[in-house]
Amino acid sequence: MHELAIRRLRANVKQSLHYLSLIFNDFFVLALIFLFGALMFWYAKALKTMPVGQNFYRPVLGLLLWLPFLVGHLVTLLEPADEQFLLTQDQHVRSYLTPLLAYSMVLPTIMLVGMGAILAPFALLKVKLSLANYLGLVASLWVLKIFQLSLQNKHLYFGWHFSLWGYNLLTLGVAVLLTYNYSLGLCYFAVVLALGSSGSQRVFNWAEAIKTENKRKQGVYAFYSLFTDVDERQVVIKRRKWLDFLLPKRLGWETPQTFLYRRTLLRNPEYLNLLVRMTAFAWLISWLVQDYRWALGLSALVVLLTLYQLQGLEHVFDYHLMYRVMPIDPAWQRRSLIRVLSLALELQTLLIIVGWAIVLPKQTMLWLYMIFLLAITIFLVRIYLPLSLGSKHETKK
Amino acid sequence: MSLKIEHLTGGYAGVPVIHDLNLTIQPGEAVGLIGLNGAGKSTTIKHILGLLRPQKGKIVLEEKELTNDPTAFKQKIAYIPEMPVLYRELTLKEHLEMTMLAYGLQPEKTWPRANELLKMFRLDNKLDWLPIHFSKGMQQKVMIVTAFLPKTELLVIDEPFTGLDPLAVANLLKLIRQAKEDGRMVLMTTHVLADAQQVVSSYAVLNQGTIETTGSLTDLRQHYGLQPADSFDKLYEILSKEQENA
Repeated sequence: MHELAIRRLRANVKQSLHYLSLIFNDFFVLALIFLFGALMFWYAKALKTMPVGQNFYRPVLGLLLWLPFLVGHLVTLLEPADEQFLLTQDQHVRSYLTPLLAYSMVLPTIMLVGMGAILAPFALLKVKLSLANYLGLVASLWVLKIFQLSLQNKHLYFGWHFSLWGYNLLTLGVAVLLTYNYSLGLCYFAVVLALGSSGSQRVFNWAEAIKTENKRKQGVYAFYSLFTDVDERQVVIKRRKWLDFLLPKRLGWETPQTFLYRRTLLRNPEYLNLLVRMTAFAWLISWLVQDYRWALGLSALVVLLTLYQLQGLEHVFDYHLMYRVMPIDPAWQRRSLIRVLSLALELQTLLIIVGWAIVLPKQTMLWLYMIFLLAITIFLVRIYLPLSLGSKHETKK
Repeated sequence: MSLKIEHLTGGYAGVPVIHDLNLTIQPGEAVGLIGLNGAGKSTTIKHILGLLRPQKGKIVLEEKELTNDPTAFKQKIAYIPEMPVLYRELTLKEHLEMTMLAYGLQPEKTWPRANELLKMFRLDNKLDWLPIHFSKGMQQKVMIVTAFLPKTELLVIDEPFTGLDPLAVANLLKLIRQAKEDGRMVLMTTHVLADAQQVVSSYAVLNQGTIETTGSLTDLRQHYGLQPADSFDKLYEILSKEQENA
């Protein structure tokens, strides 16, 4: 079991590095350096002007240091097949999980040390904590994180219940108390530690452990998928009946493809989230620039990017067995996509325009720019999209 | 007016799995395609459905070839796969509507039939649900309902009884019987001969990619030298030995 854990760990590290290298490409790293630099510049300036020893500093410090404590769950790398093939290995689970517990601490340690280093000037100069007190605070949170993961481990056995949020709130208490009264904080820390080390376990709950690990993995994949395509990600389709008003009431207006595309757009989170994210992004940048000309240019770019990403919908059913078996004319595919995307993007544009009316300064020219944006969207979906899809098909031929 | 498979050779990526296969199904006839796992039953079905391209030979359904007019050819076929294949984004009601759209059925005229089928398989109160969240047996019922909604000339049914409760099996057999009476053709693969023989009168035994023999169960018994007291499962033992000796 120990060798199996090491093998899985290596494969997991390899997979993580693959996605992280895709996410942290040169441009993204450059952007992050700029953002981090700007944040640190603001922080350094703020430190110079900040008064010393304000009452609220201590709970804020405790809260900020507690945030990285929340990062990271127990990594077990269990797979659905384990319920069948490893069912009899309960007594070896401990040796399986030992290297994985250590691995699970890597991310929280990095986060805690990083946050600890960033907050050190604030804690030492403005909160006026002693260095020993501050180091003790960071170290206590690190130790409590180890115990939190150990509790998560125990939770995977039958007959042991544990509230993660309950434990996290207790830890927040430790973090805040240690900034006020070090001795009392340490006593409270000892109590939380004792809670974390209680209980023994026997029978491993394979089904629960596999479910928990799958949820953790899907969370990680969801993060990766914000930046890149992730094959392993399982999409959970939701009914979302409240969006049914966006679907045509008469079947006669539909082709098989429009019927499928519309429902995919509304119920598949990959597409719906993209639409929502991009619309919210358009609102945000419009609010930031506070200028209708810039808002027009940037929002038009957002619509174009949304259109570009939604084009993938065209081939989403190409390998679906029943789609291929049913008498569905492939000639309708492109026209159907244009119909569905036209409606979706025109709706997105209307939402962006409503957002403009709220966040941009009220000027008479704003109406004109709203009409411009709508015209650009109509051009994109009625002229650019058919040409773009046509050229793609030509290239394929 | 029939399904004719003539000298069909095919398989995957240039590797032939079936060799020179010939089979004819007449209107009103249900043919059972039987054989061991890996004999080529699913590959044959995939060729009929147009999911694989024949390396040699042809498949003609009512004078139409798949390659000439795929949509018109598919219009004549309904398929129930061994494992349910559903659209994740569609509710049960929308699966039926999708079938109506694909087969060009008029909703007003088709819904009475759909409701009858839904009631038969006790799905009538689940129209607004996403079938991906159903149990395997329930999902298979959805596949049956959607396949029997259009009255296609040919029904291709792959291992239909797996995961179905006895009531659903009885209803499926009833539907197949009705389809035969309506002059439709049925091609069915199965290992459950006790159920299949209630509706299937003619069988084709597929072994190592070729049809060894066709005929009624009595004909097959004679062909393989089975005694009246022998269980029909002995046929599979004989086929297995043939494979070992090949």
